[in-house]
Amino acid sequence: MGIETSTLDRSAIHGEEMVLNIGPQHPSTHGVLRLQVLTDGEIVTKITPYIGYLHRCFEKHCENVTYEQVIPYTDRCDYVASMNNNFGYAVAMEELMGIEVPEKVHHIRVIVAELNRIASHHLAIGTFGLDVGAFTPFLYCFRDRERILDLFELLCGARLLYNYIWVGGVSHDFPIGFVEKVYEFLDYFEPKIQEYNDLLTFNKIFIERTADVGVLPADVAISYGVSGPNLRGSGVKWDLRKNEPYSIYNKFEFDIPIGTGAMGTVGDCWDRYYVRIRELEESVKITRQALDQMPREGDVHAALPKKIRPPKGHVYSRTETPRGDLGFYIISDGKPKPFRLKLRSPAFTALSCIDEIARGWMIADVIAILGSLDIVLGEIDR
Amino acid sequence: MIRYFSNIWQSITTLLIGLRITLVHLAKARKGIVTLQYPEERWPRPERNIGFSHDSYNVIRSRLHVDIDDCIGCLKCVRACPVDCIHIKTVKVEKGTDILEANHIGITSNGTQKRLLLTRFDIDMSECCYCNLCVYPCPEDCIFMTGGPNSSKQEIDYEFSEYNRSDLIYRFAKVPKDQVEKYTPPPKEKVKIDVAG
Repeated sequence: MGIETSTLDRSAIHGEEMVLNIGPQHPSTHGVLRLQVLTDGEIVTKITPYIGYLHRCFEKHCENVTYEQVIPYTDRCDYVASMNNNFGYAVAMEELMGIEVPEKVHHIRVIVAELNRIASHHLAIGTFGLDVGAFTPFLYCFRDRERILDLFELLCGARLLYNYIWVGGVSHDFPIGFVEKVYEFLDYFEPKIQEYNDLLTFNKIFIERTADVGVLPADVAISYGVSGPNLRGSGVKWDLRKNEPYSIYNKFEFDIPIGTGAMGTVGDCWDRYYVRIRELEESVKITRQALDQMPREGDVHAALPKKIRPPKGHVYSRTETPRGDLGFYIISDGKPKPFRLKLRSPAFTALSCIDEIARGWMIADVIAILGSLDIVLGEIDR
Repeated sequence: MIRYFSNIWQSITTLLIGLRITLVHLAKARKGIVTLQYPEERWPRPERNIGFSHDSYNVIRSRLHVDIDDCIGCLKCVRACPVDCIHIKTVKVEKGTDILEANHIGITSNGTQKRLLLTRFDIDMSECCYCNLCVYPCPEDCIFMTGGPNSSKQEIDYEFSEYNRSDLIYRFAKVPKDQVEKYTPPPKEKVKIDVAG
């Protein structure tokens, strides 16, 4: 068991160190990531992540396209939560240009963003189970995620890369019957959370694999800049939707689940996982409230000039995506194209602390730790 | 000792709880609940109201199609495209005239008179990112993803694999290939650039 190995007297068993490469083509790296693992026997002494296999020059590209054309590129950063990326960019642009969007747009954005959060957490939960050897929950998660993707297909034709939330509004209104379908989905989905709990969360084998493993203490998490469910798993109550409400998140009532160390230590893999499970419930709550309060009539575009030309200046704005604080730093020089656009990626900071938390654990635990961090390489390399 | 047995007890009970869900699911399972025999059967596409006005137009992401008779060569879609996959070349012709040998009809179905003859309108679908941004600015409503408001003429087509990558370049211009030069104005004299220097 992992607990004993981390406390072993290492000097007594010191042997020859071996370099082990995990990836770039490895199913549990969630993308194209190479981990250079220095091992002493079965025990990991150092991990160096090598990134850049998915680098597509996102930031440089943005300097050569107009502000509207950036949105399809933001889709491709965190490709399992595209709506949230669109949302973050739109919020940043609106802050830069000083636009106030209609009430209905705010609600539409919150609904689709929370649905996408549910879909993204489905993937995180399912593949985490897959990483530690539970195949069944993965199928259940993808069965339910498929329903959300179907909803999005109905909404905007695309299943993954939506280009739906635009600067100053959304591309078009909800189709007829969409709201009812979302209600239907929420009714269907809520009891399923219990199913995941029964299948995976409280399974003894799963708990043995994840509890007490890869503990990320709160101070380490903060000093690395880790955010999102990974930070909350360490017991820090920090959620931008509550702490720095953007859009209309201050109108809704929801809790911020944090890791309590129910199965082991605060900030272990199980806590990070369980925060995601409980966030599913919170997202359902927010979606329901947004659907109830949404004005049914109204425009879905703010009044915008035909060509978006923000005034000279710069803005840094951050939003809460399923992975954490997504920040956009945009410098405008008054031209139709951004002078500079910087993306602060939450998955990058989550990956950067892997050496700190995985040192001293076994190779099999590294896979569990990496899975619990829920990184998306499209966003890390961008 | 107590912990040892409680661990065993927990392992057995939690495993059984998980197995119960799987068994219930198995009992409820209908034929084809998960696996879809793809080329034979397809997942149903969501139904939606597709109309020509932009208020009721629901987006479909599939192959791009251009009703070339309606295109006036305004290049708005070219400017909107974030990946530059639309290539248009135009030649100035007399306003509103029909040039029958080049399949050029001088007026669009919206009644706009065309000033430009399109000698080239290529869309490279291997580059397209299906963002749908080119559809919105079109003043003549002539560029759409297939299965959109043009679904009566163009059935939805989202699986257009080809053996050759060049087959993914869709050429919409109607000017016959051997006659393109006839309508292309002579190239302007280029300023020589000394590469070696």
